[in-house]
Amino acid sequence: MATSPQQQHYRAYTPRPLTRSEIGNVEILYGGLHWRAENVMQAVFENLGYKARPLPVATRDDLLLGRELADIGQCCPTSFTTGNLASFLREEGKRIGPEAVADRYVYVTAGACGACRFGQYHQSYELALRNIGLESFRVFLVDQNRMDQGALKGGGLEVNIPLTLGMVWAILCTDAVQSLEYRTRPYEVVAGQTDKAVRESVEHLCEVFRNRPPKGEKWGPLAWHLTTTYFTKALREVHRRFEAIEVDRLQVKPVVKITGEFYLQTVEGDPNYNIHSWLESEGAEVYPAPIVVWLDYWIRFYVQELEDRVGTDRAARAKIWALKGLQAVFRGVYERMRKALGGIPHEIPDQYELRRLAAPYFHHRLSGGEGDMLIGKALWAHVHNKAHMVCELSPYSCMPNTMSIGAMAGVVGQHPDLLYAPIEVKGDAEVHALSRCQMVLTEAKRRAIREYVSVMEKTGLDPDSVRRVLDRNPAMRRATYRVPHLGVAGTAANTMLHVAGRRLRMAA
Amino acid sequence: MARWFDRRPSGGHGQRPERAERAKLRIGIPKVLNVWTTHQLWLGFFASLGIPGNRVVFSSDTSEEQGREFGSGRGTVDCCYPVKCISGHYGELVFGQKRKIDILFSPMIYSMPSFLHGHVADSLACPRVMAAPENIKSGFLKEKDVFAEQGIRYVAPLVSLVDPLQVPKQLFIAFEGVLPGLRFEEVREAVDQGYRTLAAFDRELRSRSRRILEWCAREQRPCVMVLARPYHMDAGIGHEIEADLQAHGYPILWMQYFPTDPDLLDWMFGPDIREGYAKSVFDISDVWPSSYSANTNEILWGAKAAARVPWVTCAIRLTSYECGMDQPTFTPVQQIVERSGTLFFSFQELDSTKPAGSVKIRVETIAHYLQRSSRAVMERKAAAMPAGCPLLEKPACRAGGTATADGD
Repeated sequence: MATSPQQQHYRAYTPRPLTRSEIGNVEILYGGLHWRAENVMQAVFENLGYKARPLPVATRDDLLLGRELADIGQCCPTSFTTGNLASFLREEGKRIGPEAVADRYVYVTAGACGACRFGQYHQSYELALRNIGLESFRVFLVDQNRMDQGALKGGGLEVNIPLTLGMVWAILCTDAVQSLEYRTRPYEVVAGQTDKAVRESVEHLCEVFRNRPPKGEKWGPLAWHLTTTYFTKALREVHRRFEAIEVDRLQVKPVVKITGEFYLQTVEGDPNYNIHSWLESEGAEVYPAPIVVWLDYWIRFYVQELEDRVGTDRAARAKIWALKGLQAVFRGVYERMRKALGGIPHEIPDQYELRRLAAPYFHHRLSGGEGDMLIGKALWAHVHNKAHMVCELSPYSCMPNTMSIGAMAGVVGQHPDLLYAPIEVKGDAEVHALSRCQMVLTEAKRRAIREYVSVMEKTGLDPDSVRRVLDRNPAMRRATYRVPHLGVAGTAANTMLHVAGRRLRMAA
Repeated sequence: MARWFDRRPSGGHGQRPERAERAKLRIGIPKVLNVWTTHQLWLGFFASLGIPGNRVVFSSDTSEEQGREFGSGRGTVDCCYPVKCISGHYGELVFGQKRKIDILFSPMIYSMPSFLHGHVADSLACPRVMAAPENIKSGFLKEKDVFAEQGIRYVAPLVSLVDPLQVPKQLFIAFEGVLPGLRFEEVREAVDQGYRTLAAFDRELRSRSRRILEWCAREQRPCVMVLARPYHMDAGIGHEIEADLQAHGYPILWMQYFPTDPDLLDWMFGPDIREGYAKSVFDISDVWPSSYSANTNEILWGAKAAARVPWVTCAIRLTSYECGMDQPTFTPVQQIVERSGTLFFSFQELDSTKPAGSVKIRVETIAHYLQRSSRAVMERKAAAMPAGCPLLEKPACRAGGTATADGD
């Protein structure tokens, strides 16, 4: 067999290095979360000397562009995020030219998620970039499971402890603010006050994160983040801004818990048919899906993996205890932030309870997407009366999500009173999806009213008498007054029970 | 595929009374998804526990009739056909047996015993595939417990087959109280036996593939490589497209059973390693950095292999409708194969119905191109490869024997 010049085989895309000398001129792009977290993350980057910018919220045009540019059969989050990046870069390319785009921007995204397609999004990005003539654009993948990953190729961007902790704390703070916001806006007396307070609060948090003091590289920042009052002070300032908002919590509204695939449940915009604002406009109180629950789940995920190794790995038990300790600390930090906001943001469910609830229907080790959490969260909201209805946002063609929806058939069979609205989101079938949600929402509204009426009967109170009590106690009409959860789902019903309890205590 | 699921006789146990009790049990296994490449492990496992092969019942190949007769009304969600069709397999095992089964065994295979493991990020199963039993089960439980009503024990353990140390515990927990008198030591031994049985089966098939390649090399004849997931071997899912091609006289190799003899792989991938593109003959990071999924990894590796062996003049890609694992790999796989000058044809969006007319036309087209281009493809690819191809050596002189690279 004669030898000849060797075949030039196909090789996967590898980004050009991002060097330290470039970093002052390069803007880091990222996205995929809600705007509050993305804005504060920008401040975290800036705090560490980077230029960064979140991509604009993905639109339906981005979806169509994503479908056009990458391989067929993508799940809708892939199409949205691919199209979103491609659209931004294409527009910038028109403005400053493709060479300048490739030099001035880089995109950073999470790239490790096991076998689910999320971990393979980069393939779609690569194809889309090639199809718009930007094959030299740099996309960097960061491992979502490791806090300290060192410098990315070229050394320009370091995914180190200060950066990771900044990102995590940004998520914790903005999750708490988002929860406070969604518990306030449906009941605000003067429309627009909540939005204004949230905008100002996020700006304030950005300032706080931008001025985060340097505390070293490894253990120093960790110890400081865990012990400092720097962030809780900032959140108390947020609390103060919300204090000015007057609310009327006696409006009977169904509480709708949002669950689903991570991207769809987190973003607020076209990718999920603006479901958060649509539900509010339909008279519901939205119980949003905080990112912090996902982070908590990741710790459980590793605990579970180790649990299976007990008996074959001598260190497994010690590692489990270490991870559970970390989980307790993590939850404790979020709890402090909730308290700084008056305890009003929703608590995060116990991961091991979610596992226990989901166990008859979905094995806890099944991975990809949200694992057993969708089933666990739906049952948790149901059995603890946290919401009247669960709206699950499922992307078209999402692999793990379709599996838990299928298993939910068994859950609904055994819990026929669980109001469950799985919404398949394709991105371009809005009317169909929302009308489906509306059907279930109608029943949720009836339930909220029935619940309120039963509380009236139980307490012997009526709305007018409760309103008189609230008028006599102006603090109770403030957004920052905490109405405890007293076993019913609706805010109006809980308020009535709370007032009844106060009267009893005062009478005693 | 007629002998694919052949049963093997049990081992030399059977002295204890509980083993005699076990030998009376009938175990039904849905012949679906990754059972297509792990069935020998289960046969070896049950045989070691005293349940002979003739008491293990596999469901039939997938068919639309099976789904209509046994799976109708049991579906809980719309997803890919290889998962959806499992309702029919469960139904057939529950309702369609002349002699009732006692146990319906449907393993949730979390990770696969892939020959690439250790060279890739992970060897996980697809998220849909691993969770499929939970999904299908709910269709048999949502109104009433059909399994209990039929007197069947439903056993669906999660098994991490890539990690043999974990498997005995996972299976012991699943079968304790189901198989009489079960002891942990027994399960550990049975798991070992299962892996040995599977390894022997894989070794045999890889050696057959090697013989085919040697024949092709000796006779300068082309062959076709199938790049697909294990369940595309199911006539009702892969629709026997490869058999139609074989009828045109082209030997078929399934990527899953490509020979892994060191001499052959060193010859194929040596240049990549020397040039620094790959760390080992099983490294795919040069073409696929997100190497988490076992079957995806093997498809990518298979594409690399197809691109390098001169006598593989054509690669056929089979993918099912809505396969989220295959979707991101469409372009890389095609590029890997085509850049080498190898013919590439893809049957995408395969579903329940065989589009017989269009398959026939496409198979004839492929056969036409194979006939027209194979010689040139072989010459071009051979010229680009190093000298000393072990496939052209006499079998007796072969350097690496038939040992598989995973140490068997």
